[in-house]
Amino acid sequence: MAGTGKLRQRVPVSGRANFEYDRIQEEEHTDDVYQNPNNRHPIEKILETDKASVVVVAVLTALAFALRFYKINHPDQVVFDEVHFGKFASYYILGEYYFDVHPPFAKLLFGLAGWFSGFDGHFQFENIGDSYTQNHVPYVGMRALPAILGSLTVPVVYAIMKQSGYSTVIAAFSAAIILFDNAHIAQSRLILLDATLIFFMSLTIYAYVRFQKLRYREFTSEWFGWLFATGIFMACTWGSKVNGVLTVATVGVAVLIDLWGILDYKKSPSMDYFWKHFAARAIGLIVVPFIIYLSFFWVHFALLPTSGTGDSFMSPAFQETLAGNEMLLSAQEIRYYDTVTIRHKDTKVYLHSHVERYPLKYDDGRISSQGQQVTGYGHADENNNWQIIPTKALPETGRGRIVRHNDMIQLLHVNTDTVLLTHDVASPLMPTNQEFTTWPRDDTSRFNETLFQLSLTDAHDGEAWKSKSGYFRLIHGQTRVSMWTHTKQLPEWAFRQQEINGNKNPSEKTATWFVEDIVADETGEDPKERTGHQPPKVPKKMNFFRKFGELQLLMLQHNAGLTASHPYASGPLNWPFLIAGISFWTENDPQKQIYLIGNLVGWWTCVVALSIYVGILGADLLARRRNNDPIPEPVRNRLWNSTGFFFVVWAVHYAPFFLMNRQLFIHHYLASHLASALIAGAVLQFILSETINYPISVEAPTMRRHKRQYVDIGLKGPIIFALFCIAMFSMFVFLAPLTYGTPGLTGDQVNGKRLLSSWTLHFAAKKTAEVVP
Amino acid sequence: MNPGGRAVAVDFVEDEFEEIGYPETLPTYSPHMDESAAARRRLGKGKPEGAEEKVWYDDEDDYKAPSVRSISGGRPAQLALPPPTTLREFIFQNMPSIPPLVYTLLACYTRFHRIGLSATVVWDEAHFGKFASHYLKREFYFDVHPPLGKMLVGLAGLLSGYNGGFDFKSGADYPPEVPYVAMRVMLATFGVGMVPLGWFTAIELGMSQWAAHLVALMVLFDVGWLCISRFILLDSMLLFFTFLTVFCLSKFHNQQSHPFDFDWWTWLAMTGISIGLVTSVKMVGLFVTALVGIYTLQDLWDKFGDLHLTPREQAKHWGARVLCLIIIPILVFMATFKIHFMILNHSGPGDAQMSSLFQANLYGNDFHNNPLEIAIGSKVTIKNMAFGGGLLHSHVQTYPTGSNQQQVTCYHYKDENNEFWFWPGWDQKDTVWDPKYGSHDPNDEEVRFLKHLDVVRLVHVPTTRNIHSHTIPAPVTKANWEVSGYGNATIGDVQDHWVVEVLGDVVRGDVNRYLEPKSATVDPRARIHALTTRLRFRHQVLGCYLSAGRTSLPQWGFKQIEVSCAKEEAGSKPAEGTIWNVESHWNTKLPPAARSLSRSPFLTDFIHLNIAMMTSNNALVPDPDKEDLLASKPWEWPFLSVGLRMCGWGDSQIKYYLMGNPIIWWGGSISLIIAAFVSVGLVVRRQRYGGGRGTRKPAPNSLNGDSGRNGAALASRPGDGLTQREWAQFWHVTRIAGGGWILHYLPFLIMGRVTYIHHYLPTLYFAVLMFAHLLDYFVFQVPSTASASLQAVPTSSISLSDLSSIPKIIRTFRSLPRITRIKVYVFSITVSAIFGTFWWFRAVAWGIEGPVRDTWGLAWRENWNIYH
Repeated sequence: MAGTGKLRQRVPVSGRANFEYDRIQEEEHTDDVYQNPNNRHPIEKILETDKASVVVVAVLTALAFALRFYKINHPDQVVFDEVHFGKFASYYILGEYYFDVHPPFAKLLFGLAGWFSGFDGHFQFENIGDSYTQNHVPYVGMRALPAILGSLTVPVVYAIMKQSGYSTVIAAFSAAIILFDNAHIAQSRLILLDATLIFFMSLTIYAYVRFQKLRYREFTSEWFGWLFATGIFMACTWGSKVNGVLTVATVGVAVLIDLWGILDYKKSPSMDYFWKHFAARAIGLIVVPFIIYLSFFWVHFALLPTSGTGDSFMSPAFQETLAGNEMLLSAQEIRYYDTVTIRHKDTKVYLHSHVERYPLKYDDGRISSQGQQVTGYGHADENNNWQIIPTKALPETGRGRIVRHNDMIQLLHVNTDTVLLTHDVASPLMPTNQEFTTWPRDDTSRFNETLFQLSLTDAHDGEAWKSKSGYFRLIHGQTRVSMWTHTKQLPEWAFRQQEINGNKNPSEKTATWFVEDIVADETGEDPKERTGHQPPKVPKKMNFFRKFGELQLLMLQHNAGLTASHPYASGPLNWPFLIAGISFWTENDPQKQIYLIGNLVGWWTCVVALSIYVGILGADLLARRRNNDPIPEPVRNRLWNSTGFFFVVWAVHYAPFFLMNRQLFIHHYLASHLASALIAGAVLQFILSETINYPISVEAPTMRRHKRQYVDIGLKGPIIFALFCIAMFSMFVFLAPLTYGTPGLTGDQVNGKRLLSSWTLHFAAKKTAEVVP
Repeated sequence: MNPGGRAVAVDFVEDEFEEIGYPETLPTYSPHMDESAAARRRLGKGKPEGAEEKVWYDDEDDYKAPSVRSISGGRPAQLALPPPTTLREFIFQNMPSIPPLVYTLLACYTRFHRIGLSATVVWDEAHFGKFASHYLKREFYFDVHPPLGKMLVGLAGLLSGYNGGFDFKSGADYPPEVPYVAMRVMLATFGVGMVPLGWFTAIELGMSQWAAHLVALMVLFDVGWLCISRFILLDSMLLFFTFLTVFCLSKFHNQQSHPFDFDWWTWLAMTGISIGLVTSVKMVGLFVTALVGIYTLQDLWDKFGDLHLTPREQAKHWGARVLCLIIIPILVFMATFKIHFMILNHSGPGDAQMSSLFQANLYGNDFHNNPLEIAIGSKVTIKNMAFGGGLLHSHVQTYPTGSNQQQVTCYHYKDENNEFWFWPGWDQKDTVWDPKYGSHDPNDEEVRFLKHLDVVRLVHVPTTRNIHSHTIPAPVTKANWEVSGYGNATIGDVQDHWVVEVLGDVVRGDVNRYLEPKSATVDPRARIHALTTRLRFRHQVLGCYLSAGRTSLPQWGFKQIEVSCAKEEAGSKPAEGTIWNVESHWNTKLPPAARSLSRSPFLTDFIHLNIAMMTSNNALVPDPDKEDLLASKPWEWPFLSVGLRMCGWGDSQIKYYLMGNPIIWWGGSISLIIAAFVSVGLVVRRQRYGGGRGTRKPAPNSLNGDSGRNGAALASRPGDGLTQREWAQFWHVTRIAGGGWILHYLPFLIMGRVTYIHHYLPTLYFAVLMFAHLLDYFVFQVPSTASASLQAVPTSSISLSDLSSIPKIIRTFRSLPRITRIKVYVFSITVSAIFGTFWWFRAVAWGIEGPVRDTWGLAWRENWNIYH
């Protein structure tokens, strides 16, 4: 048996060895060619010097500033989401609390920019098209911030490529894709968050690349420096916009892959070594960023001490920390026999009843109880008054008369002297829900059906019920339905008021109500003076972490809730191909418009590059599976590890959008577009050259020296780059009127700019429909 | 060859001789596969043993040769036994068949016990019973599910003598002539079949006998599976075929060592057939298909890296999979539809879902009484010709957005709101017609036939509103213009004008003739025919085309299909949704045209019906305005947070509550979580320790009948603490059970459709397999140290047979090694817990009689609405 085994085993082994030998031979041969850096093409040699690199960066940066600042004062009107972000900046200046789904860092920067440029916060950015000049808003100063960050993104992209070992021309190529891109430019010239997001995202990539290059010099101060830099930039990215969390995920994925390698028993001698690595990353990439992220919110809360538009999003406890908040000023404990008005939290209607009764039979043939109508009514009215009747013995005076959480109460409709009741009869509009009606107070035959349990939101046992701040659900004692209302109106017989019914879902969030006002107390007096003289109320304190937690939760909920359709929303699949853009702003008279759309040449180049890249990886996988090595080892490493990282950046910033239900816009792709520009550079280098600059990692003293390789793309690199830049620039100039919003275009010109039929540009000349004769 | 290579070869042989004693007889072994392990050893040979090795970093990872899975999990091959010579031998050889037999009999008992107790239509019997009636009456109906399951229900009805006359109203009592008990029993037989399938699947997956018992018992005693199998529903069939697919797949896996054998082909083809069957019952079957697909892709990827296979063999492997796993299932799926169409050859409630041509060929259809050629003044219904298209429809309800005018939709059922008149445009009013259809100006006796490029108004018959379009975006497809019903017989404007464009004719072809407008009135060949002529309606003012997409309107439009006016680039190909044909046609002035139409091709009908099914399935989204008490969310399933009342809850009714056996559901879900952790742990350990440390001794005698020598051989890579056999076995079952569970669960999280707890029932199977698998891995397959005594007493004889000699069992038990006793304890505790909870909850599946309060202690969780 051993004999046959031996024979059988030997053949492949020897075959393998031969193969190995051939491979080494081949590689050594290629190594020879590129071993000597002086053998390279003279152009390449010049371009690879530091001086040349500085010159290239300087030119790129200067161009970037020029393109982004060109006519930055135009239009002098509120454009697209400047409505939101400009407003938020003014809130920071005024100190009024607001609520938004995005974290505050970028908005804080805008606030700062506005403050620097002398904006006093009086302008509210109410509508798209409101004039800045008429309102004396220093908007150029505010727009300069994203323009600067957007411009600086270009040299950062260059640096990423350069640091990853690509030659100068290639790095400039990637930078040019961003430099001449209409979408990036349009997005950076306005008061929008994306420029900040993308700038810090590119910095994060840069810092991580630097960190990775130091991997053989682990635990040196440089290494730690770039590790923390990654963490800090990452926190800034995340702090700019919710989407920044994808950058965090990217770094997370990369770190996991990295740690997985370190875990390998062949690489690390002991487990301690692994844990040291793990701890360093945990501190640098989790603890530090989180502290920074928290600090953004700390500043946010600190800058917004007074009541503002965001109050109503927050919990009562939170609202009471804001100066001037109505809830803080007028919340009062409610006592039995108080007459109150009750309002629905979401739709803001009052709980209302009137003498009219439900019709016996509805249009769909169902039968009602024909009881007195209970409806939701939007306006103040005598019929909104309800008195709280106890179901237990009360002490004569004192705090025992306060209504508390989980008390069983009756609600007496004061004008008709009837009590609120619900029973197992279908409501007028919804057969699944229970009808609400009232019942004469003195008729005790249905007493049990008139009992309601008062359930305060987030309350502890025995908590007092307060007006304004005490959100509650009213749960029917017998059938356990909650009093609920929805925006549907009842027909004419109920004067088109809102339906109120009993919702059977025990955890329905929208079944929340609050007491708007205490109209009268037991004696019919105004209860305001009940508690005697009160000192002026000061805002309460609340733990920062509780505030932070509450706000985070709300941001998540609202972000997921942005599902309403929007005419310019588009699906993720359309983005890389530039199928549709967004109309940011239009002006009728000279037919000007800003339309967010990318540079067709650049974006499609990126798409092609991505598909080539995926193709190369696929082919390499298949070939390796069959034991072929078509790509030299160092080149393959660069493709898999360095470009692979860019690919992860692209995929992680792109794929999650496919799973999201919220409305999506093409500017969500900008981060991925930047990553695809990096990939495009890498692919171009792969095509032009058989080698790469290698190795690029900083060497450790203990390391075995690797034979150096140098890339040489010679003259063809600069030529291709120049041609590409010309194409990019022409396309850029062609689309520039849509990007800068000037000059105005005639209808036919607009049609000419409509390169893809799916672009919904304004002011297009009517195509006369061709009628078939 | 270089000298170094030769030295290496010598080392290698020595090494191999000492440690890797692969016997050739081991069926799962293939000779080239240990090459990578051997190669690794060869590389390390140059360094002295024990010397600390300085790791040299390079800028690259070291090159790894493609790793080929060396030993796959699954059931180890059994020696074929010689034919029995004595009765004793025969019995002995067939001993392993006894447990599944017993379980099957038990399953018959649990499934059939009191099956006819509730003589009312329970839950979805209302649907599926009705569909069975349609089959028996041979009426065409429409439903979102593929037809196989319902045909089997129909078959059950046929076999039990049901005449199809009952309408299966929900909650109604069965009349005496409906043999509902027989029908239920036939369908419950699929539920019985699940139990032996569970047993044999466990065996084929390479689980121990203990685990196989567990799987069978869990399938037997889950009240959810039990309950759902006892009614006239599709779920028992769906479950049975899902189980069958997993069984065939694991059976096929075990044939991998001898490809292209008869058995190999059989089980590959069987897998394909069962995929086809499961998908033909419900589309959920696609999930188990995905499991087979992923398994196959991985398998082929392994084969692709196997350099010892010739290209011819590679191609054969690929070809076999394409044939058996793609072509056969599709053929099976299509065959069910073919039979479906063959049976249902009478007109019925589902007609309107299909193309006009298809309907015309159904018996009982009155299309042949209709006049053939359309004229101005004809009353018609207009059918969209796109796959899954409906009838143009309007109703008194108005759009809540846009113009707030009357809604115009596409509707898939016949009612009089689908009827329209072709009237001339407002400008021609004086010359022609009285608004009463058919009767017209007596002076104008001449019939004006409709022709290409005529301008008409489409007037909705019940409301007399004109189909109208204007520059208001459509409610859903904002890019198109809204189409609404506007005005009446006297009020209207040019926005009501539509230009009729003829594209061609399905039967007569030839477009060009229709494009000659002048000859149309005279030339009968140029006239527009009902059913077959393909028409478009261009809005005269806006130039857009009347179009129905696949988008449904929200609840205010009753989820009907949106109709809009689609802008079209000049010269582009006509979009499918803009093409219409006239379906029903009434005109008293014209003679009925008897004619025989050619059949619509099967493939067209097949695609048409499938698209219609998909469209209505997608429309089953939860309605935010209406709370569905029965619906539940996927995350409520694994831990059984909800149950479902299957019928009315009155005191006198027999009540059924769809829930699961909590021990099985919770146990399954917990084991999935544990399995996730264990998997991660194992992978990390392999990465960390590679071939270094062994914690678990090689199994000289595992329960699976590995011979001692094989066991030792397989233990040659103890680095991560597992033998290769254990490693492979763990991953094989984990990926089938875990992968299957994920594939059956995640889609429900993503899809927007309304979901119910019974959607989890196929998923549960994979949780059950994982449950048994983990117990197997941690307890039952742990090799015992003193294996001899274990061998002496076969495990099956302890648990089931030999009940007569209890003292002997106790004695034997005491003499067992500790690990074996632990196994017995674990097994007995699990089984008693499963059986105990089953017995506790048996009433929910067998029917709760009398007031529900009398059955005590069922609400283990707050959300189970058994009592309130």
